[in-house]
Amino acid sequence: MSSIKEKFNQISPSEFFYRNRDLAGFSNPTRSLYTAVREFVENSLDACDQKGIFPDVHMSIKAVDSEKPDPKPYILTVKDNGPGIESKHVPLAFGTVLYGSKFGLKQARGMFGLGATMAILYGQITTNKPVFVKSSTDGKIQDEFELLLDIQKNKPVILKHTTKEVTKRGLSVSICLEGDYAKAGSKIKDYVYETSLITPYATITFDDPKGEKFHYSKIVNEMPPAPTIIRPHAHGIDVETIRRMMVESQFEIPTIDDAMVEKVRKDLGLGKKNLAFTGIMDKAKKRWKTLSRPVRVVIALMSFLKMDFDKLNKIRIEDIDVSNKKLFYWDFGDSQSKSVEMDSESPYYKQLTGTIQGETLTTFLTKRFQRIGPTTAVKFAEFAGFKPEKRMGSMTNQELVKLSESLQKFEDFLSPDPSCLAPLGEEPLEKGIKKFFKPDFCEVIQRPASAYSGFPFIVEMGIAYGGEIRPGGPHVYRYANRIPLLYDEGSDVVLKVVNDSDWTRYKIKGDPPFVIVTHICSTRIPYKTVGKENVADRPEIERELRLGLQFLSRKLAAYMSKRGQAEMAKKRANLYAKYIPLIAQFSTELSGKTKEPNYKKMLEEELIVDDKQS
Amino acid sequence: MTTNKAKDRKLKTNEKQKSIIDALKMHGAKVYDDLENGQFPKFSIPSRSVSNIVYDKKIRQYILGNSAALRSSRNSSQLRSFTQLMWLAFFANRLTQEKKSSTLRDVYYSSQAFDIEFEDQSESDNIIVDLEAILSKPREDFHIFPEERSSIFGDLNIEYTIPGYEGKTMNLSNHPDGYAIGPSLTTAELLDTSAEIVIAIEKGGLFTRFVEEQVDKKFKSIIINTGGQAPRSTRTLLKRLHDEMGLPVIVLTDGDVYGEHIAMVIKSGSANAAHLRDLTVPDAKWVGVWATDIEKFKLPTIPMTESDIKRCHDLQSDPRYQEGIWKKELDVFLKIKRKAELEAFSKYGLTNITEKYLPQKLELAKSL
Ligand SMILES: Nc1ncnc2c1ncn2[C@@H]1O[C@H](COP(=O)(O)OP(=O)(O)OP(=O)(O)O)[C@@H](O)[C@H]1O
Ligand SMILES: [Mg+2]
Repeated sequence: MSSIKEKFNQISPSEFFYRNRDLAGFSNPTRSLYTAVREFVENSLDACDQKGIFPDVHMSIKAVDSEKPDPKPYILTVKDNGPGIESKHVPLAFGTVLYGSKFGLKQARGMFGLGATMAILYGQITTNKPVFVKSSTDGKIQDEFELLLDIQKNKPVILKHTTKEVTKRGLSVSICLEGDYAKAGSKIKDYVYETSLITPYATITFDDPKGEKFHYSKIVNEMPPAPTIIRPHAHGIDVETIRRMMVESQFEIPTIDDAMVEKVRKDLGLGKKNLAFTGIMDKAKKRWKTLSRPVRVVIALMSFLKMDFDKLNKIRIEDIDVSNKKLFYWDFGDSQSKSVEMDSESPYYKQLTGTIQGETLTTFLTKRFQRIGPTTAVKFAEFAGFKPEKRMGSMTNQELVKLSESLQKFEDFLSPDPSCLAPLGEEPLEKGIKKFFKPDFCEVIQRPASAYSGFPFIVEMGIAYGGEIRPGGPHVYRYANRIPLLYDEGSDVVLKVVNDSDWTRYKIKGDPPFVIVTHICSTRIPYKTVGKENVADRPEIERELRLGLQFLSRKLAAYMSKRGQAEMAKKRANLYAKYIPLIAQFSTELSGKTKEPNYKKMLEEELIVDDKQS
Repeated sequence: MTTNKAKDRKLKTNEKQKSIIDALKMHGAKVYDDLENGQFPKFSIPSRSVSNIVYDKKIRQYILGNSAALRSSRNSSQLRSFTQLMWLAFFANRLTQEKKSSTLRDVYYSSQAFDIEFEDQSESDNIIVDLEAILSKPREDFHIFPEERSSIFGDLNIEYTIPGYEGKTMNLSNHPDGYAIGPSLTTAELLDTSAEIVIAIEKGGLFTRFVEEQVDKKFKSIIINTGGQAPRSTRTLLKRLHDEMGLPVIVLTDGDVYGEHIAMVIKSGSANAAHLRDLTVPDAKWVGVWATDIEKFKLPTIPMTESDIKRCHDLQSDPRYQEGIWKKELDVFLKIKRKAELEAFSKYGLTNITEKYLPQKLELAKSL
């Protein structure tokens, strides 16, 4: 169980996505009903996964008026046993677009921070009804919200907020939306079915509007290990991201208040003693090595201000102008802004500029990115044409662009760290496939981690043949980050790879009963649309898919030839059973005997026939 | 004396029958024992592939060499044909025991009563040849006969041995169309004859002519129509006439390479029947129509076809065509590239062949 407090970041307004709702999968009542189901179910599974809870998800769709013809309003409710959302975050998480906790670098179903809100938005637009959210993080108190969305302002409007005592943790969302279950029903059922295949550790229940109940119990008793959040890889970075990281890399100039002064005095070991300016400086020099950064910054400022603690109390630092070597401050006593020159030769000057201009390039690289050591950082600086000790804060816009371009191009970075990925694992995948398809043959593979433009990914695959699988294969089940992909099949990279396969080469002919399951895990699945339905072809991903499929196909071919042999043996046994009795009958009359020879034993014995003998 | 001789012959026929039945029983018992001991039974069948057919100079016929193929019931791809062979042996045993005869076509249909499927008659014919090879006995010995019939005419008394006719006798000059050579005739006892020679002739038309012209009386002969390539029953009968009645055999064919070979097969067998002996009359003589006769008798001719020429070349590499008239006539055919039929003599009158040509050839035969 991880105890990371998820950071909620808000990125951009709802207006934009309202105008682009087609992209997000809310184009018509059929598609929208299906997409809404997905968004809520995936949020529930994500939440449970992250906390290591075996998901137990209940989903129900009820018609508001069952007599009306489709499309018509439906009430969609999804309830889970996950961690819930803290009361104060609920309105933001469900009432704001691009508000999510999953932007950090690790694998999750959610990526954009807009799924739930889009569904709610769609419901509100089509039925003008609020969303009901019930959330309990402790299993004791449950917060119940009734929310509407203010589209222009990208802000939630709380209609009602109450609390209630409960016994179970978890979250439940309920919306009213225009849908067409007559058309969307089969897709939704497929979705639930396929989701339970790739989430064999979850229990999923679906009550459909016609009163049918679909229940999939969990079939494995181990959760796949949760992914860890990691630093980004240099290859997957752009200028905007570098800017955001730089902000974090700069140290703020400490506010010099009473508490700060007290801390400096203490660190210099002054006690109640009042030292003059030079005395303070001497003391500081002696203790420099033991001092913390904020204390050093205060000392450096004092060295240019030439002030003791008393005087320091009466001013406020306004600005440090590094290029003009000037320090500006506000004097409370004179109520005016003043400045002093800074001596660039002074060691204190270095301390100050270092703090303001942030980390050096090499420190920035080794500390903020994954898989870059000091040696690689220096090599990279040379490659990009920067001094290794160049301060990040001193970079111009042009230099930042050059830096980001060089980061993409430099080839000596180690490949991305896959520990942020959460593949299902070969064993659960195999169990799931066996349970779902009841095949005669099943083989799975997890390819080693690989990366495309800075994003690590892992391909998992399974192949199954015979048994209860229907003919007409290969039937392809595509997954990405444990989401089944059901729409837009034609343009998907997985299907491209499968269709390129020449199955006759693997002894598979006719109308074969076989299934291929693919699962791509990545911190960033290259979806073609926000609707998350098909994966674009990246050569690296395509290659891994191909290798995986080749491996499995070879296994299948080996099985098929064994199966062929077994069928041959059976045929042969049938031949013996047919002909040996005849031979016995004829030989009995020919030899003038009355009783037939005892050949039964021969038929029972396993017959290993060397057909080459003759 | 005659009755003694007849008894002798009867004994011989019975012996022959017994040896077939014994052989079949022996093979059957072997298979029975194998099964009883939990072993897959198998047969060793003399190989009939070209590489195993050799010409035996001493007995002047093609025979099979020593290589044999194993047909095992253990081998699933041979199991079916093994069973077919077993069935045939079983069926042949019944035929022989019950003295019933059957034809190749009959065999094909009879199999269906026993759940033995033959895909077509050629498959069952092949199995019959397999059994012949195993027993080294022609199928006629186990009462399977071909459909094609050739015919016989002349003063010859026979006594039937087939069930229902046993003891009944017949003179083969009583019916001018001749008598079909079938199972009852080949298995009949040959009692006595006034004839001094057997004339085998290739064509039905000429056979009728010879009967009309009373060649049997004029030349003290038995006339046999081989109907093209002589069937085995006819060859068996020819052999018996030669061996049992002491009659010389002469052969008269069309003047072409096929005619020459018809005579050769009667004399020394065919490669197809290399697994069988006792079908040949090594002393038989081909008296015409020779290639040299075409010139000599100024016969109307027709040109040889491509296949005729090819056949000539094929036969040139046959060891039996390396000397004597066989080689000489073949060379001439190849040289003149023309051929003449027996009917060609009609140019000089319908009786020309019996009145002029035949006497000359009969005379010549004595010196051949
Ligand atoms: N069932 C839930 N339990 C706990 N937290 C939830 C649940 N549903 C949503 N959340 C929180 O609300 C946030 C917003 O969800 P939303 O679906 O809008 O975005 P997302 O899942 O991050 O990305 P995406 O747009 O790809 O779905 C999530 O990031 C998550 O932190
Ligand atoms: Mg989501």
